[in-house]
Parts: sequence; structure tokens; C-alpha cells
Amino acid sequence: MSMMHASQLTTKSLTPTAHLMRWVIVATVPGLAAMTFYFGLGVISNVLLAALFALGAEALVLKLRQRPLQPALRDSSAVLTGVLLGASLPPASPWWLIGIGVIAAIVVAKQLYGGLGQNPFNPAMVGYALLLVSFPTYMTLWSPPQPFISENLWPQITGTLSASTLDALSGATPLDAFKHKGETVLASEFWASQPLPEGTLNAWRNIALAWLAGGLLLIAKRIISWHIPASMLASMAVLATLFYASDPSHFASPLFHLTTGAAMFGAFFIVTDPVSAATSRRGKLLFGAGIGALVMIIRTFGGYPDAVAFAVLLMNLCVPLLDIYTVPRPTGQPKSQQHVKHGDSP
Amino acid sequence: MPAYEFPGGITPPERKDRSNQSPLRNAALPTQVTLPLKQHSGNPAIPCVAIDDRVQVGSLIAQRDGMVSSNLHASVSGTVTHISENAITIDADGLDRWQVLPSLDWRSEDHQTIIARLDSCGLVGLGGAGFPAYIKAQIADHHRIDTLVVNAAECEPYITADDLALRRYPTDIMEGAQMVARLCGAHQIVVGIEDNKPEAIHALREALSHFQKSDCQHPVSITMKVIETRYPSGGERQLIKKLLNLDVPSGGLPADVGVLCHNPGTLLAALYAVRDGKPLVERIVTLTGDAISKPGNYWVRLGTSVETLLQQVGVANQQLHQVIVGGPMMGLPLSTLDAPVIKTTNCLIAATREELPPTPSESPCIRCGACESACPVQLLPQQLHWYARAENDGTLEKLHLFDCIECGACSYVCPSYIPLVQEYRSAKQRIRIKRIETAKADHAKHRFEFRQARLAREDAEKQARRQARQAQSRQMSGSSKVADSATPVVDLRSLRIAQTAAKAAVRKAEKTLARAAAQDPSQRHDDLETQLATAQENLKAADTRLAEARATMAQQESP
Repeated sequence: MSMMHASQLTTKSLTPTAHLMRWVIVATVPGLAAMTFYFGLGVISNVLLAALFALGAEALVLKLRQRPLQPALRDSSAVLTGVLLGASLPPASPWWLIGIGVIAAIVVAKQLYGGLGQNPFNPAMVGYALLLVSFPTYMTLWSPPQPFISENLWPQITGTLSASTLDALSGATPLDAFKHKGETVLASEFWASQPLPEGTLNAWRNIALAWLAGGLLLIAKRIISWHIPASMLASMAVLATLFYASDPSHFASPLFHLTTGAAMFGAFFIVTDPVSAATSRRGKLLFGAGIGALVMIIRTFGGYPDAVAFAVLLMNLCVPLLDIYTVPRPTGQPKSQQHVKHGDSP
Repeated sequence: MPAYEFPGGITPPERKDRSNQSPLRNAALPTQVTLPLKQHSGNPAIPCVAIDDRVQVGSLIAQRDGMVSSNLHASVSGTVTHISENAITIDADGLDRWQVLPSLDWRSEDHQTIIARLDSCGLVGLGGAGFPAYIKAQIADHHRIDTLVVNAAECEPYITADDLALRRYPTDIMEGAQMVARLCGAHQIVVGIEDNKPEAIHALREALSHFQKSDCQHPVSITMKVIETRYPSGGERQLIKKLLNLDVPSGGLPADVGVLCHNPGTLLAALYAVRDGKPLVERIVTLTGDAISKPGNYWVRLGTSVETLLQQVGVANQQLHQVIVGGPMMGLPLSTLDAPVIKTTNCLIAATREELPPTPSESPCIRCGACESACPVQLLPQQLHWYARAENDGTLEKLHLFDCIECGACSYVCPSYIPLVQEYRSAKQRIRIKRIETAKADHAKHRFEFRQARLAREDAEKQARRQARQAQSRQMSGSSKVADSATPVVDLRSLRIAQTAAKAAVRKAEKTLARAAAQDPSQRHDDLETQLATAQENLKAADTRLAEARATMAQQESP
């Protein structure tokens, strides 16, 4: 005799998996809009291409694995991965770059591990990390704020832009610029020299705020819990403050760290991927804090200006351990965590 | 009202207004009843009537078998027509003649008489589990009880049986509570009720203010706590947390924190059993669901078939999709409408397809954590799901699978429609069966060891006797000079060590048995007794061998 399923009570008002995914996609709109506003249509083309590729890749692998296509494609998880990967790529990314990233994300990181719910690593970040280490020239191709419709948009997408134009287009991100400012240059001198084109810092700050708005929407809708973003941002802020307080002339301010690069986007849209994150509340706090700390360490002492992707992947590795050591104490269990062995005679 | 919080919980649609709009009514007298012999937890009762026996309402027809079991009485007057392995069928004569026991005054009678009355009236908890009430009343023998909690939360959707009982019989229920409080020695009674039952709350308030005027009649103070409506606040542990801020230990009982829980229906039936001498032959059942035209609460004779009952309240057979016994969260769908109403049937939902549609097919778990935040026991349902699928029983137990109260909140919130509770249930079942098998294997092993030990002991004794005889015959023949070189050199030291070890083993076995017996006096400890006997046999053998060796040594040295 099997018990009836309780959700029979309210099938219609429930939020099934696909709704969760769609809400996350909806919540990326402010961030994407802000990015498009500052960096032009390249952002939109990235996202659309990545989403399309993701659907195609998912369908292809499902077909090869002889799994039903419909439910998996309709749950929007592949599209979401595509959107998130697309949003993290530089606006001038050529189509093949996006394609390779998507294949790494969907085929390798997700489907080869068994599909939705089975992947130990965040698929979008696997794709991103692969691209970052394989194609550094393209992946650091962040232009300064540019007109809405760039005249080079089409050649950018098709990847037929000449090398010289490519160079001319690219500019440093604030994190990048600060990272490579040179040991001897003081922070105040660096900023005084106006190292970035007009409005760059402002653009990044506003984009971060837009991501934050989307993230807060997700928390308000209870699509994600506050634990991971809060602990990640808090741990970044604490470490940044410590560095900054120890030597303000060489380290950037906490505000700078939180509002440039992928901090906000990562905190609300990347690290909150439930599949590859820790499960218990305590585990989530530790997971977020670990990512925040790794981001700060890699940004400050490592080779890459931004570090969210690597930090997330490294902490994904720790999730099984976190899950084992952060099992909450159920109501009524003794306070000291002695694992009572059942059926064991003394 | 100060209320403490239990974690998690959900607020499913209540759908209680379908059955709480009309007053409590009597269902028509059935023409035939089928009374299952097992309507409670524990062993089935043993029939004590024969076919063609005439019975009256309240005649004993089956007796309890063992400690956890319950008597069964005829619920209609008539003739016994069929006795099967599982049930007794009675054809009603339509006269409804009652046979009641003499009335008792619970204020003056001693506890044993009242407990015996609860036992003989076949009283069990009417909330769902059906635990025999007389055992619960005896709990004061082992535990100090401070508080009697009246569980009037009734948190499952649809069900309104307790609600209507409280509206109609508030004073009787409170009197029943006083009686049970006196039996278990509780100092206070706390009524926990959800705020979605304003009429019942009002009725209770009036009854309580009436009580306050006649203090001496009702010595135990009663407080009512109105709690917010949230499922599963009617779970024993959750309610105790909410009302008293006490955590019932894992694997323990409310009695471990000095609390006894009863639901209003049980208290009412207990009072009727003692005050009016009425055995448990009828109960209030909520009949609800969109497929019936006259939903409401009815006094129903036990053994009435579900089909007859539903026909009385106007079931539309074309629309009927399924009938669920109990609430939608924890209840079970009926496979046949022939099933009778039993002591634990609190609700029948005759649902249409639109009302409770089939669950959509399940999709993969994305570990979203919705189940975790809904779990009232703070388990990690998504982890349990993972390991239950993998049948990784060790990890399941480490993740406290057995603390799951099977409330179904996790399944309810799961966006992937994973039947989480079913998975936990079958995992628990699998682990239980495994434990029983291990215990059986252990038992067999221990019996074998006992036999070995007994044989060894007999061997040692035989040898000792032979030795003694030989020694005697040697003395008789006076050939003591013949130094018995054939006797093996005995290793006195290792024998002494063996004896000490055997003594320690006996002490350990005694201690284990004593501890087990103190913890659970009602249980039998055959296996531990076998282990103790084995240890004792081993000690005897060691003793005999040592004594024999000493004798031999003495003999060898003395000449």
C-alpha cells in the first residue's frame, strides 16, 4: 500500500522545478539590461547564442543517452545554464567561443555526470573556467562602455574581427587594471592617473547593483535562500576590510571588491545553484564563506583578477565533506553528536 | 498566547469548511457490521463468541491478546454470522439493545478499577495510531507525569471530527481530561488548539469558565492555548514543543519529558467507558470530499462499511475518484469500499479527480532545499532521498532517518514531485526487516554457543569424575609410587586466566541483562538470558577444569 502524494492537495499553486528555473532567468533581466546598456548588444547576443547552444547540446546528449527530450528541455535548466554562462562572457565573444563554453558546461559538466541534479560542479562555471584558461585573449576582452549598437557587432559575433581592431576594442576591467597597477604604485596615485576610460567604474558599479536587485527578488520569492550569498559577500567584505585596513595604499577597498567583477552576479546567481552547493543551512554558510575567502585570496594574491569561477569550483569540491559534517541535530536528538548505532548490542 | 516554535511546517489549504458547517449527526444504524480483530497497535484480539451467538451492543466478542492489544465489542445487537481469521461479522436485528457496564465514579474509585475499566471497554487512542489507552494510563508507574496535553490541534486538512466533538461535548471532554489527569498524576492540563476552530475555542472557553466556578469538582487546572494554524502542529512532538517548549528525546516518548498526550475523542470515549459503562462501539467520523452531497461529522458504529456510509451521505459514484482514510497528508487511499470503519478511522475523504488530482510525474531532485525548510524535525530530506535511492542504510541512520515523523511536508513542497515520504517509509521498513533478521541470526548463534558451552562443561565434569575415580582406585591399590607420568602436565596458570575471564564474562552478561531489563521491563530478553547462561556454563567448565588440575597437582606433589 502506498501513501498518496501530498502535493495532490495543491498541484496548481505549487512551484515546480521549471518555475524555479524560469524565475531565476527572469531575475537576470535587470543585470542583463544594465550590462546591455553599458556594453551594447553584444551582451544580448552572447546570452541568446549561449541559451540556444545549451538547448541544442542538451537535446543532442539526451538523444545519445536515449532519454526523453521533452521533460528535460522544458525544465529550462539548460537555458538557465546558457544564460548564466552568456552573461559572464565578454560582450565581444565570437560564436565558437560561446559554443565551446556551452559544450563544456552542458555536455561535460552536466550530462556526463547524469543530467539535472547529478552534477557535482556548477556547469556554467566549468564552461567559464575552461574558456578562461584556454582562450585568455578573448576572455579578457572587456571593452570599455560602448555604444548600444557597436559597428563591429556582427564581426564580433562571427569572430572575423581583425586582430588590430580586437586590440583597439579591448580595455581593462577595474579589477584587472588594479591588479596590474604595479607593486610600487600607490593606490591613490593609481586612481589619480585615471587608469580607466571615462565611466568604466561607474558602469561596473551600476551593473553590480542591477544584479543585486535581481538577487534580492530571488530571495524575496524564496527561490534561493539568503545563506550562501550573505555569507559569501560577508566573508569577502571582512577579508577586504582586513587587507585594506592593514595597507590602504596597496589593497583595494571592500566596496571596490564588492561592486566590481563578478561578486554580485556570482553571489546571487552562480554560487546559489542548489545542485552543486551544500545542503544544510550551516553547510551553506560555510560554503558561501569559503567562496568569499577564496575569491579574495585569488584576487589579491593569485594570477587572475577575478576569481569567482575558480572559487566556486574549488568549494564545489568541498561540498560532500561539508554535507557530512554539517548534518543538523534533529529535534529531540541529544545535544552532543554521538551517532547512536542502532541494533548494536552493548 | 505564548507559543514556542517548532521548525519548518507548511500551510496547506484547509478545506475544513466542507465538513464543519453542519452539526454532529448520527449515521443510520447499519444492518451488518464487520469488526476486524486488529483495530489497534499490537496483537489482534482473540474471538470469544461462536457463530449464531446472539449479541447486544457492547457484548464482548473478542479478547485482547497480550499486553499491547485491545478488547473488541459488538457494535450492533444481533447475531454473529461469520468469524474469519481477521474479522467477526454481525447481522443486526435492528433493536439496538445495549449491554452496558455499571457506572463508576472516577473521583472516588481507585486507579486500578478505572484502568481495568478502560481495558475492558477496549479503549484505544482515537487519533490514528490506536495505542491501547489502559497502557497509557499506567504510564505513571514508570514515569512522573506533570502535564496532560489535550491534542485538539487537528492540523490535517479536511478533518473536523475533534472540532465538532469539542463544540458539542466540551464539558464531557474536559471531565475526561480531569479523569485521565488524575490517573496519571498530572498537575496541569494544557489544551492545544489551532486558531482555525473559533467555535470549538468558544465552547471550550465557556466550559472552562463553568469549571472554575466548581473548583472542587475539577482539581487539576486547565489552560487552553490557541496556536497558529500550521501543519503538523498536531504531531505529538511538535505540539509539546509549541505548548511547553519541551523536546521529546529521539526514540523516546512524551512521558520522558513528563507529558501525556490524548486527543479529545479518546478522552470523551474514556469518560463514557467509566461514567456510563459504554464500551468503545462507535466514534465520530468526518465524511467529506467533493463527491458527497451531505458532508459533515457523524457518530458511526464501528464495523459499518465505508460504502454504506458514503451512500447515506449521498456519494456521486460517477465523480468519485478515490476514497482516502485519514487526512490527505498522512492518510491512505482505500483499495476497496467494502472496508469497515474501525476505531482509528477519523476521516473519510471521497474525492473527485479535480479535487485531488493524480501527482504529476516526478523529475530529478535539484537539491533546492524546499523540503529542508519544511521539515519539522530538521532533517535533510534531500540527502535522505539520495541515500534512500542508493539503499545506503548506514548513512540513512546517521542522517537520523528514524526521527522522520512521516508528516509529508517535504513531499508537499517538493517542486520535483518526488514521493519523499514513501521512500523514507520503505527505507525504514527495509532497515527494520534487516534488523529483525540480524537479531534472528544472532539468536541462533547464541543458542549454538550455549550448546557448545554446555557440552564443554559436561565434558569437563565427566573428566573430573574419571580423574577422581582413577585417583581413588590408585589409592586403594596403594600404587601411589607409580608416578603418573602419563598425566599431561597441566598448565595451571592458563586455566586460572581462563577462569577469571569466564567470571568477567558472567559479570558482563549479568550487567547487560540487568540494564536491559531496567530499561524495558515489559520486554522479554531471551537472547540476553541465553548469553548469560552460556557464560555461566563456560565458568562452570573452567571451574571444574581448574579444580581438577589442582587436584592432580596436589596428587603429583604429595607422594
